[in-house]
Amino acid sequence: MDFRRIEVIFLIVFFSLDIFLFLSFRNSQQLVSSSSTNTSTTTEMRKRNISFGSLDTKNGSAYYLGSQPSDSLVQNVNKLRNQEVQYDNVNHKISSSLNNTIDITPADKKDVMDKFIKKESNVLYGKEYKYSPQLSTGSQMVYVATGKLGEIYDKTAQLIFTVTDDKVVAYTQTYVKSMIILHESQVIKSEKEVITNLYANSEIPNNSKISYANLAYTKLLEAKDSTIYIPVWFVTIKNKDSKVSTTKKVNAFTGNIIKSSTNGDSSYNAQQ
Amino acid sequence: MKFSRLIVQLLLVVAVITSIVLSFFIWTNTARYQRGRNIDVTSAESNKNEIPMNQVISPTQVMWHDETDQHLIYNSNTNISLSIQKVMQDWKIDEPKLVSKKDGAYYQKVIQSKNMIQMVYPTAITTNTLGSLLNNNSLKNDKGSQFNRILINLKNKKDQNIYLADDSNYSVYKAKVRNASAVPIAKLVKKANINLKVRLNIMKHGVFTFYVDPIKMKSYSYVISGKKDGEYTTALFDSNTSGLVTSEDNNIYTYNYGESKRLVSDHNTEELTFEDYTDTSVPKTQLAFMQRGYQKVVNLQNSVSNLRLYNADWKNKDLIFREYVEGFPIFKKSQFGSIRIKFSRKGSSEHFLNKVLEVPVPSNQAPTKLKSTNEIFKGLQRAGYSPNDVQAVEVGYQWESETENEKVVDLKPTYYIKIGNHWKPYDEWSNESAEED
Repeated sequence: MDFRRIEVIFLIVFFSLDIFLFLSFRNSQQLVSSSSTNTSTTTEMRKRNISFGSLDTKNGSAYYLGSQPSDSLVQNVNKLRNQEVQYDNVNHKISSSLNNTIDITPADKKDVMDKFIKKESNVLYGKEYKYSPQLSTGSQMVYVATGKLGEIYDKTAQLIFTVTDDKVVAYTQTYVKSMIILHESQVIKSEKEVITNLYANSEIPNNSKISYANLAYTKLLEAKDSTIYIPVWFVTIKNKDSKVSTTKKVNAFTGNIIKSSTNGDSSYNAQQ
Repeated sequence: MKFSRLIVQLLLVVAVITSIVLSFFIWTNTARYQRGRNIDVTSAESNKNEIPMNQVISPTQVMWHDETDQHLIYNSNTNISLSIQKVMQDWKIDEPKLVSKKDGAYYQKVIQSKNMIQMVYPTAITTNTLGSLLNNNSLKNDKGSQFNRILINLKNKKDQNIYLADDSNYSVYKAKVRNASAVPIAKLVKKANINLKVRLNIMKHGVFTFYVDPIKMKSYSYVISGKKDGEYTTALFDSNTSGLVTSEDNNIYTYNYGESKRLVSDHNTEELTFEDYTDTSVPKTQLAFMQRGYQKVVNLQNSVSNLRLYNADWKNKDLIFREYVEGFPIFKKSQFGSIRIKFSRKGSSEHFLNKVLEVPVPSNQAPTKLKSTNEIFKGLQRAGYSPNDVQAVEVGYQWESETENEKVVDLKPTYYIKIGNHWKPYDEWSNESAEED
């Protein structure tokens, strides 16, 4: 009789032990998954009401690119029709005011202008540009140069339309003819690394939205009459209350945040 | 009555077994859990812009022997040897076994075999170092044989081996591979855009790469950068910069931290020497030797992707690193390369230059056509150096500072010859130009 009671007590003890062990086993498994995927920073960001889409963890690769100033724009300027064109020799830049303004609405502006630039008598090399909502504002529609190696977000390769009262009245254009690869490809920081790094450096305030994170080439410096471009992550952060957007630039090779100098150019030292 | 007792007993047995099984799982699992955390910590650390170790300790030359000739190949858009190493990381490589030793004739046959891709390290490393670089466990636990060439047959499907070869004693090792395919490597070979015909000759001082025909080489230009002394002292003195004693004499600055650490920075030559008298432990294994050297290098310069281990002298515990451009070493004005690290019982020393290639810029110089290696040997003979005097020949880039623009440096290709333990460009030995007329 006594022995039987002991058996029952043992059964209860072992049964509760099993439950305890099972629970702690499950707990440790959850810890494994959370620690190995390093979601801690992103969950912390979501807790602070920072919203963003899924972040790419893949590390790509990119190049140092170089280009030489080209006179292609000025050489073909006579192909343009129905506009008054000025050419800036120093910056190799076309400034044009349109004789017939173009009516646009916020909804159809991309389609209208995409169609407009396709025609060579409207815009030179228009097919090589792509609309960038990230860089555009209410008064400016920015088209960026695209190439085989990626897009260029830089003043040296842009098509900017000036918009006043829902009318496109003028544009400026800069053009890069060809890019040469200067160094073998190098591994770059992934989107996730860049955004968690920005957060860790207090560059992303609470209650905001990451509206864009794009990788593009931008000018690093000029040397020996050439312009050198490096890959940079352009991350746009929109404050949910004030609706103000700011764009942060991160060197994709080093992961360092590029602070813009007063004239808007990213200075060379920012790379350090 | 009896039946219910049986059930209780049965349940008890089940409960006991479950608890044992669960405890077993938890024990093995906590180990995994802790390991997972370690991985997390290291990945957070590697965010500090460090170049991975397998890029610093990497083969610099890739040679491909097709049906007829051997070629030195390179792809200026993607580094072939780094890509091959990435492919090899997925392979299962067994322990290497010795095939032959001290047999020069056989050795030459092996390194000149057809359909072989060959990756050449500038200096010999050990098999367990390779295991650590490829993250391969069976190699990692190997006893550590030295080698400086990796050979892989790309055509013969029956030859499921990689061969490791050591120039210093003509040893050849064979290691069986599983889970491997030559297809991705063959693709990389096809993409090469630099292709120079070579022949590997065994001479008195080892294996020499002979360029059979005159070779056309590009020139390069780089923006160079340097750091202020203060940045080095923060990195090297573990931020203990408050107790630093500084003295200056003739533009040579000395920083002392008590009697234990000293940095001497010569602003005339931009050479720096750091001595750490507290670092008195000498690495016990070759793997530790390379790992500690690598750690010191990334501590000095963390954004350089052109740096490669150039020479490892295990006997004197001396490591030399050089910068490379497209597979060819850069020779600066100093004799030691870019960084030299030495371990000893009295402390470690680091010798380095404060000039680092930072950003490539388009070169406005025309390509140079260099003589064939045979012509170089003939020229040396005319100057009174017999082929047996020549310890090493290497095509490398000469560092030419531009006077009007100190920030930009031009790199010009030439032959570098080592005679009497001194590296000098060919024209300084022979008074002749290395360029083809």
